[in-house]
Amino acid sequence: MAQVPVQTIHRDPQLFYWILFPITIVMILTGVLRHYASVLMQSAPKKLDQKAIREQRSLLHGINLRGNFHALSKKSFATRRDALVTAFESGAYLKDPERAGQGQPNPLSDPSSMEGMMGMMKNQMAMIIPNTLIMSWINAFFSGYVIMKLPFPLTIKFKSMLQAGVMTKDMDPRWMSSISWYFLCIFGLQSVFNFLLGSDNAASQMAQQMGGMGAAPQMFGPGVDPDKQFKAEAENLAVIEHYSVLDDVEERLLEGITV
Amino acid sequence: MAPSLLFNPAKLPPSEALQLAQQAPVVLQGSSSPSETVDQWATYENLLLACLRTGDDEAAAKCMDQLEARFGPDNERVMALRGLLSEAQAENNGELEAVLKQYDAILEGNSTNLPITKRRIALLRSMGRVSDAATALVQLLDFSPTDAEAWSELSDLYFTQGMYSQAIYALEEALLLSPNAWNIHARLGEVQYMAATTSGSGGGSQQKYLAEALKRFARSIELCDDYLRGYYGLKLVTTRLLKEQAKQAKQTDDGEFTLPDPKTIERLDELATAKLSEIVRHSTLKDRGWRGYDEREVAAARELLSQNGIER
Amino acid sequence: MTWISNTITVFGGLLLAHACYSAQEHAALQSFRAAATSTLTSSTPVASSLPVDIAIETIAATLVIVLGLVLGTRPLRPIQWRVWAGKIEREGEEGFLGNNGEVEKDYMGNPFTYLESRPSFVDIRRQRKEFAEWIKNGGGGTGKK
Repeated sequence: MAQVPVQTIHRDPQLFYWILFPITIVMILTGVLRHYASVLMQSAPKKLDQKAIREQRSLLHGINLRGNFHALSKKSFATRRDALVTAFESGAYLKDPERAGQGQPNPLSDPSSMEGMMGMMKNQMAMIIPNTLIMSWINAFFSGYVIMKLPFPLTIKFKSMLQAGVMTKDMDPRWMSSISWYFLCIFGLQSVFNFLLGSDNAASQMAQQMGGMGAAPQMFGPGVDPDKQFKAEAENLAVIEHYSVLDDVEERLLEGITV
Repeated sequence: MAPSLLFNPAKLPPSEALQLAQQAPVVLQGSSSPSETVDQWATYENLLLACLRTGDDEAAAKCMDQLEARFGPDNERVMALRGLLSEAQAENNGELEAVLKQYDAILEGNSTNLPITKRRIALLRSMGRVSDAATALVQLLDFSPTDAEAWSELSDLYFTQGMYSQAIYALEEALLLSPNAWNIHARLGEVQYMAATTSGSGGGSQQKYLAEALKRFARSIELCDDYLRGYYGLKLVTTRLLKEQAKQAKQTDDGEFTLPDPKTIERLDELATAKLSEIVRHSTLKDRGWRGYDEREVAAARELLSQNGIER
Repeated sequence: MTWISNTITVFGGLLLAHACYSAQEHAALQSFRAAATSTLTSSTPVASSLPVDIAIETIAATLVIVLGLVLGTRPLRPIQWRVWAGKIEREGEEGFLGNNGEVEKDYMGNPFTYLESRPSFVDIRRQRKEFAEWIKNGGGGTGKK
């Protein structure tokens, strides 16, 4: 067993107090600040007018019927289906029926969707600006510092992650540079924020976004043509083969329950 | 055990509502703590309701002030509670009309204010203008058809008017939105049973109602073991079906449910009787693990059983 | 019953601590010995593994801890809908008591009662009237303060 000689680098212990802790504290404080900033900037969810609500909820109604049709008898299901399919196809529930079939409106021309995009921009900005600032701060003052040694061995692959900004080929990957500590903080502080600010805070959203979790597909977002959605839903409803959960329920009951 | 302030007190018997309302001074005293918890505001809201019910308007007003200070007078729910407060304190019809006008004015500005819309409907109903209430409710459901609570209210409204088929339709909609709600299955069974009793004997429609009522009760029991209400209804329906067995009309298959054969009905009847007597026995003895039933419901079941014992 | 499980868990923890301590002592002894021998005879690394009794003690301690923890858990919640619903109906709040004798925080009764009580449509005037009548008729013994 070939013993790897243990690298020792003599570091000034002051590095610890003047780089490692400041970076960490600054990161935490920015996270907290970002949380409160986005709480302040948050605009109230936009009020929908009655027609828009009607459009969305009618679609949901159809989806609901499709999902839970088994609670009904065949006759009551058929009545509902016929009514809904007719209404969906004629566009009776549309916000503005005369626009049906004209294709989707340009999301940029619609002022209401502009507002939503502004909100998203604001959130993005709240993430990008502080991060750029901190990163340039670290780069300007602490670039190229090796600040700590991890207490566990790592493979060579981690070198690029942990030693960003330090161009030393042969150094053990356990050594860590200041800029890498910063990156580690970005990803690792989420649970700290959860602890400090509660679970649905704005600061940890960033880590989620960077973690690559795709946004849920927007159902009623701008750029989706409701008429098409209604037509598709009508089709879905029309092809349902009905069965009821009440068929043979008494046999199931007699079999399943013993006194 | 004292009822919890975290649940809505509407269903509680008066004694427990009084118990709740008497907690008011304690809760209002402790309100000075700066940190707010999740449950705190639910507590205030329910306390407000309990106080209003027991006539303790002073404490109710205090709760209202707290809620308003926290959420602002423009919050829709706070607006509805404020309206509730003025409804409760209105002394004559004129004042009620004024409250109604206020609701109308709010809805004029914002027609999507659901809590106020619902209050308005409730007030209309409370003032005896049932048809107005029904119209308003139908309007509400037109633009918000995914509101199970409103469907259920509509069903109740029709039910009190004796319009059973409409009530059944509305209840079915509520069931579509929450298909596993065992109490709604049982409720639907009850409405169907009522419809069967009033629809004139011997007709085909009566049998359809009874068949579906039977199935609904069976489903509610399937969703919930030892469901007293479900077994009670099942017992009622099977007793009635067994009595009228002779004049069963031939059934046509038009998508409605058909009655099971008499043997199955008999077995269901036996099952319901056995289960009911088991439940009644255990909860009369206050056995451990059987204390959750409502005493009035148990008493009703006991009565039903004894009636049947005499008839046999 | 809780004291049994607690004792078992504590006992397991002690065993585990003892095993850890033994392993540490063993390692220290080994390194000391290696240092001593390396000065005498160069390049004979003493490759000695942990004595088997320490390994056994560790495993046994883990099992004992697991046993203690399992014995100490509360009865599991029902995961079948009908059993759960039946429990709500049959036992009410009593079926959902926590270890401290209070109703568990997440207990909410039948989640569908709101469909029948309909809090948004509450008829407060009728409730007040009914309550006033109940008070007038004696009010269940307690009466009004």
